[in-house]
Amino acid sequence: MKNQWMNLLAGSVRVKAQGKGVERLINACVRNDIAVWNVKKHGDHIATFFILLKDVRRLRVVARKSDCKLYFVEKAGFPFFCKNMLTNFGVFLGICFFLAIVFVLSNMIWGIDIKGAKPETEYRILKELKQMGVEKGALQFFIDDPETIQKKLIDRINTITWIGVELRGTTFYFQVVEKNEPKETKKTGGRYLVAKKEAVITDMFVEKGQPLVSINDHVTKGQLLVSGIIEKEEQLARGKILGETWYKSTVVLPLEATFQVLTGKYMEKHYIAVKNISLPIWGFQKPAFRHYEIDRLKRPFRFWKWDLPIYYERVVFRETQEAKRSYTWAEALAKAKELARKELKAKLPEDAMIKGEKVLHQAKENGKVRVELHYQVIENIAIPHQ
Amino acid sequence: MVKKWRQHMRRWLTDKLELPADIIMDLPRITMVGQIHIYVENHRGLLTFSDKELRLLLKQGQLLVRGEQFVIKTILPEEILLEGKISQVIYIDE
Repeated sequence: MKNQWMNLLAGSVRVKAQGKGVERLINACVRNDIAVWNVKKHGDHIATFFILLKDVRRLRVVARKSDCKLYFVEKAGFPFFCKNMLTNFGVFLGICFFLAIVFVLSNMIWGIDIKGAKPETEYRILKELKQMGVEKGALQFFIDDPETIQKKLIDRINTITWIGVELRGTTFYFQVVEKNEPKETKKTGGRYLVAKKEAVITDMFVEKGQPLVSINDHVTKGQLLVSGIIEKEEQLARGKILGETWYKSTVVLPLEATFQVLTGKYMEKHYIAVKNISLPIWGFQKPAFRHYEIDRLKRPFRFWKWDLPIYYERVVFRETQEAKRSYTWAEALAKAKELARKELKAKLPEDAMIKGEKVLHQAKENGKVRVELHYQVIENIAIPHQ
Repeated sequence: MVKKWRQHMRRWLTDKLELPADIIMDLPRITMVGQIHIYVENHRGLLTFSDKELRLLLKQGQLLVRGEQFVIKTILPEEILLEGKISQVIYIDE
């Protein structure tokens, strides 16, 4: 009995030997290299002992020379276990089926929990999620990961400021922070209106208060425009003072540029990965593109509540193309102007208006166009002040 | 005569050179763990075995082990491990 486990794996048989000279039989076995263990005597001429399954044939040869009769009374070990398994095929199949079902169910989404949202926002979120394929009963491999879902939700639903997305087990938890949109009339200001920057006043609409400047006046930053004090009575000043303000911007634009552009063609490969070894299960060809980008998506398989060390990996190859862009002098100039205008508009409040544009300076240096522009803008320059 | 002379020679060697006696003289080495195990090396085969008695052939003479509920746990050409409740170990000279 070198190792009990080895015996269990190889399979062993309990033999009952009956007849005279059982001891001689055991001696013969030992001399013929047949491992014998757990020898027991039951009465004068009966003994039982264990031998390995692979030694059964040799035991028969040995026993032929003795006067003993052999009976095989018990079978134990892995080979017999397998045999039993085959006869109880249904049970085995049932176990496999059960494991498969648990496996599939562990990889599904079973709950969507949204917290901190008003009913209508919650409804919208659910609707968006459904569009993304996130719903009860969806398999987790085919949906985006939480970060992507978070980004998409924030992009698509404008009434939420932030949303926390967490996948815990089989449930998605969403923590919503809604925008508290301020009421329009809450613009309570100070007792004065002052200029926010240097300007020439073009128009004035004073609702409440005493104007201290008039149209075409040149005002500097911080200068009082409207006072809320009328006959020693303090009021909140309210109104709009439109003034012409000036902005300067510089744009540098290369005449020639190269980009990597996606052509829209792509190829997918699917793998099952264990540690660092990836086993392809779908998509065996090499991508036929000369230039491509690789997107990898790795997700563990789950069983019950554990992440298995087996991963499903999707690799997407997207074809890219080098695109060259070159401008002539005039085109570059126009483009630079457009860019500058866009940039300025992003900076200005919505009700501002660009009145005029002047090119101060334009030059070509190192294959780049450098343009300096001057803008005249009409905007509200009044800001409340205590 | 030669056999006896050889025996003497071996005994002298083990005494003087401090060699283990069981190797030089082919004697059995018996290890017992309380009453429950007995482990015999250098035996020459099983003579009789029942649940109360085990008789082993040695190079010289026999070894008789008596007790209760004997089970041979392992048996190899020169080793045997017996389990049970051992009460006597007797050498029988021929």
